[in-house]
Amino acid sequence: MKPYSLTHRLIATVLLIELVSALSVTAVALLYERHAHFRAFDVLLRGRADSMLGAVQDAEDKDDNVMLDGTETAVPKDDVYEVTDAGGRVLGRSANWPVGQISDSSEHVRPRSHDPGDASYFETSIQGRAYRMIRLHGLRIVDPGDKGGGVRRYVVIYYGSSVRRVWQAVLRAVSFYALSSLAVLACTGVLMSWLLNRGLAPLRELAAGAERVSATSWTFVPPPEARMSKELAPLASALETLLHGLEQSFEQQRRFVGDAAHELKTSVAVVKSSLQLLGMKPRTPGEYQAGLERCLADCGRMEAIVAQMLTLAHVEEGQSAGSPACRTDISIALREVAQELEAVAQSREISIEVQDGSAMAASIEPEHFKLLCTNLLMNALQHSLPGSAVTIRVARAGDFAEVEVADHGEGIAPEELPRIFERFFRSDPSRSRKTGGTGLGLAICKAVVDRYGGSIAIHSKLAVGTNVLVRIPISVPASILS
Amino acid sequence: MRVLLIEDEIRLAENVASALREGPGFAVDRAEDGETGAALAENGCYDLIILDLMLPRLDGLGVLRRLRARKDKTPVLILTARDEVDSTIRLLNAGADDYLSKPFDLGELLARAKVLIRRGKGIAHPTLGVGDIVLNTVEQTVYRAGETIELSPMEYRILEYLMHRPRAVISKRELLEHLYDYNWEHHSNVIEVHVSNLRRKLSGSDPVSSIETLRGRGYRLLISKAGGE
Repeated sequence: MKPYSLTHRLIATVLLIELVSALSVTAVALLYERHAHFRAFDVLLRGRADSMLGAVQDAEDKDDNVMLDGTETAVPKDDVYEVTDAGGRVLGRSANWPVGQISDSSEHVRPRSHDPGDASYFETSIQGRAYRMIRLHGLRIVDPGDKGGGVRRYVVIYYGSSVRRVWQAVLRAVSFYALSSLAVLACTGVLMSWLLNRGLAPLRELAAGAERVSATSWTFVPPPEARMSKELAPLASALETLLHGLEQSFEQQRRFVGDAAHELKTSVAVVKSSLQLLGMKPRTPGEYQAGLERCLADCGRMEAIVAQMLTLAHVEEGQSAGSPACRTDISIALREVAQELEAVAQSREISIEVQDGSAMAASIEPEHFKLLCTNLLMNALQHSLPGSAVTIRVARAGDFAEVEVADHGEGIAPEELPRIFERFFRSDPSRSRKTGGTGLGLAICKAVVDRYGGSIAIHSKLAVGTNVLVRIPISVPASILS
Repeated sequence: MRVLLIEDEIRLAENVASALREGPGFAVDRAEDGETGAALAENGCYDLIILDLMLPRLDGLGVLRRLRARKDKTPVLILTARDEVDSTIRLLNAGADDYLSKPFDLGELLARAKVLIRRGKGIAHPTLGVGDIVLNTVEQTVYRAGETIELSPMEYRILEYLMHRPRAVISKRELLEHLYDYNWEHHSNVIEVHVSNLRRKLSGSDPVSSIETLRGRGYRLLISKAGGE
């Protein structure tokens, strides 16, 4: 689709409407002016014909004929006339009278008994010019003072005048209307483009503001005019919200990539420096052996970080909530996890107690639930004091299955609690590096519960222990759903 | 020379410390967090501080700022896993002398460490010469009047330190502090033996002592230009 301008469209639409109305006004004006002018013209023709009648005089001859007295020649020279008596005899006609050309259709009917004063109008063309004609049946009373009221003479007067001037007048009037309309149209166009330009300024400012936003600079402050406008305010606030969300997720991603790069570079630095140290000078086979074992351990740590990062990415990808189809029997899964970690627990002289009530199914992939529990239990085991117990309690809280993992260990400092779910966060870096922590365990737990619409909360007291409470929606059997 | 290594990644710190000890034979103290590192640096007995940026408790930049705020001129080499130009500029402006991005080459780290120590003592060339004694810090060899002198590692380190500050009186305590790590006090009797051995090896048949002992004050390298005139 071709790009278009809203302003141009609006202006074009308004101008089109104006043009149509101007045309209609002009057309109506044309009709009205023609009507008015032709009425006036007809009156004029009648007047001219009447004065023609006044020129009819008694011829004073033996046949009692009538004649024109000569005053009729004072008519405009373009006009044509012919005066005949009732018998059809021509009393007089103008010099330019087109003999035999005037064909009045009503003349063929010839209703002889016309009332005096009857006038009819018709159009004709004389020498290529349009004429309007009047046929007037006139009565001339000769010698009205005589006995019997004088002699009644009937005459028929044809009188025509060119309509050119009438049309000229009509067109002048109409063109006045048309030109005025055009002038209004032009003014409207200019005014509208100026006003629209002014009126759309907030939109342009909003666009300019949005244009300044880039992946590196997220600051977007909608111009106040855009905020004040009823039409633009929703757009501005939507943009603001969108950009804010985007910025946050960009920032989060950026931090993750930065942190991941930091972790990986550090791991590589360890491996590289271990190898280079080994090669710095000739060593005994025993030293090489020990050095290689250290290198292998360093590689193992890097492997663990990569694996954890991939796990996190895998859990986060497809952030859709778990489908109702995936169900995990919490108790069974928990017991499996506890069994797997039993060896770790024994090596640290810690006992694992699982207290589960009723059997429950949570809507979560078994694989993810086990991942969650393994991470939590592993954390608890690592932070427990030797000889203590880690308890896992399962309960139902409304629509959620609750899993609580409690340890008796050193706990977490209150100032560190808010950051505990951050990626690569370690409450005590050097210590957890010794234990092999990557700082991703709890971030993975958070990602898992987020994915399934659950929640995770940690309560901890220094030197007492840590409680992790996880809630996962209970799976409703499909039969109940339907 | 004594180096303070502030690095929370234990395995990396172990490797770097081993390399510094095995290569140029520096004494190395390690700190695993910024606070400890900054506190150790306050002793002022280090010839170089190698500082990681991401540290618990107090980050590398904080350590650096605290150090420079105290007008401590000890050279600082930063180890960073972030190689954004911004952070590099900020570090150098905050008073860092050099930086290395992880993963770095251990050899490069050692070379840079030596350069920084040398520069910190106002010397540009890796070969030091006082009188007719020439000490090559790269090869760790010592010549007197063209003759190679075989020194034990400790003797070499004592001579290297003295040659970095010729004609200055260096107390026994300073020597101990800069040549041994934090448990230098255990070595306090041994150093006299090392100095006397060094003096014997350097002097050869020269009747004038090459290292003067100023009772109660310390040692001074005394090498005349012509070597014995």
